[in-house]
Amino acid sequence: MINKVVATFDEAVADIPAGAMIHCGGFASPFNMPSYLIAALARQGASGLTFASTSAGTGMEIAARLRAQMAPLVDWPVDYWDLGLLADLGRMRKLITSFPAGTGHETVWPFERALERGEVELELIGQGSLAERIRAAKAGIAAFYTPVGPGTATAEGKEVRDFGGVPHVMETALPADFALVRAYRADRLGNLVFRGPRTFNQTMAGAARVTIAEVEEVVPLGELGPEAIHTPGVYVQRVVVRPSTPIPSWDTPC
Amino acid sequence: MPERLDLSVMAMVVAREFQDGAVVNLGIGLPLTCASYVPEGREVILHSEHGLLGNGRLAQDRSEVDPYVFIVGNRPVLAAPGMTFLSHDESFAIVRGGHIDITVLGGLQVDAAGNLANTHVPGKIAGNLGGAPDLATCAKRTVVMMYHTTREGEPKVVERCTMPLTAVACVDRIVTDVAVMDIEAGRVVLREIAPGWSVEEVQALTGARLVVPPDLREISLG
Repeated sequence: MINKVVATFDEAVADIPAGAMIHCGGFASPFNMPSYLIAALARQGASGLTFASTSAGTGMEIAARLRAQMAPLVDWPVDYWDLGLLADLGRMRKLITSFPAGTGHETVWPFERALERGEVELELIGQGSLAERIRAAKAGIAAFYTPVGPGTATAEGKEVRDFGGVPHVMETALPADFALVRAYRADRLGNLVFRGPRTFNQTMAGAARVTIAEVEEVVPLGELGPEAIHTPGVYVQRVVVRPSTPIPSWDTPC
Repeated sequence: MPERLDLSVMAMVVAREFQDGAVVNLGIGLPLTCASYVPEGREVILHSEHGLLGNGRLAQDRSEVDPYVFIVGNRPVLAAPGMTFLSHDESFAIVRGGHIDITVLGGLQVDAAGNLANTHVPGKIAGNLGGAPDLATCAKRTVVMMYHTTREGEPKVVERCTMPLTAVACVDRIVTDVAVMDIEAGRVVLREIAPGWSVEEVQALTGARLVVPPDLREISLG
C-alpha cells in the first residue's frame, strides 16, 4: 500500500546530506512557508546547502518586528521560520533567488549579513526565469529561451539568440535533490490541495528528486476530489502534518 | 520651487489610463497605491506575481482579513468574486506570454532609451529583481512611477542609466511628482507638467534633455 505520510518533521528531513541542492517554496505571506521543514533542517544540522527560493527570508528578528507591525490586522504565526534562520546558522553556501535583500536600509536580512561576511554566494535571477527554470526541471525540459534578460547582468555568460528579431537568453533547467513545499491538504498518495496563492510551492513540487510537503491535514483517500487536486501525488514523495498547536521555538523536536 | 504632487495625485495620474477590463500588475512601493484610484465604473483585473489574479482592495481591519489572501509586501487583501490562485510558473506564463496590459513599476533610474534600473538601492549589498525583469520586458505597456529626484536631489530621469539594469528599452511612460514623460524613439518627451511648474524648472531636475511638444499640458485629473 502506498503511504507517503511521515510521522515527524525530523524524520522527513533526516536524509538531507551536507551540500544538497534544495528548493524552498513560499512567498509574500507567513502562511505559505514550509516553516516546520526549515526548522527541522536547522535541527538536523546539514551545512553547505544550496537553495533556490523566491526570497532570502526575513529571519527571526525581522519576523518579530513584522509580527508587531501586522498585529492590528492579523496574528503573524509564532511558528514562522524561513531561510533567514539557515543563513543565520551558517548552513547556506549558495542562494539562487530574485529577492536577496530586505527593502530599505533599516531592514537587513540574515542573508545580507552572511553575504557581507563572505560566507555565501548569490545567483540573482528574476522571478519569472527562476520559476520557469524550476518548472522545466519538473517537466524534463533541459533549457528554454526567454526574452527576459538580454542587455542585463542576468544574461552574462549565457547564450543569447535571436527569435523573430527579438534577443532571447537561454536559461537551463534547475533541478534539486529535495524540495520543501507547503500545502493545505493532502492524502496518503501525496495528492495536494493548496490554499491561497500557490507561489513556488506548486512550481517546485515535482522538480526535485524528493519533494516533501508540509500540510495542515491529511484526509482519507478519495476525499480530495479529482477536480480539486492541484498537484498529483506522483510529484510528491513525503507528506508531513503540521502540529495542531503551534510550537513556538524552532529547536524543539517534532 | 513650486509644490510637488503628492502620492495620491501621482497614483490618480497613473490609474486614469487603466481601461475597463485591463489586466494590471502593480509593483511594490509607490505603484501599489494605484489600486485605490481605479477610475469609477472601470473594472480591472489585478495580477500579483506569487499567484493571485483578480483580488479586491487592501484589507482595512481584522474582520476583513483572510490570512491566505496576501499580495506582495505582506499585505492582506480582500477576496473578490472571480479571483484565481496560481502557481508562480503559471503566474509568469501570464506575464511572459503578454497577457498583462499595464505594469506599473518603481524606478531608481530611467534613461532616454527606456532602460530601467530599479534593482540595486545604493548602500545595500544586494539588489532585488523580483518579477520586474519579466514585467518590464513583456507587459504590453510599462509605466514607471517614481519621485522625480532622489532624496539627495539627484535626477532619476537620465541620459544613460549608471545603475545595474533591470530590463532594456522597456519603459513607455514615466509619472513623477512633477511631470508625465513618454519615451519615444530614444527621447524623453514631456507630456504633462505639474501645476505651477515651468519647463525650465522641470528640465533643471532632469538628467536627460526633455523634448517639449506643442501640445504640452498641465497635469489635470479631469
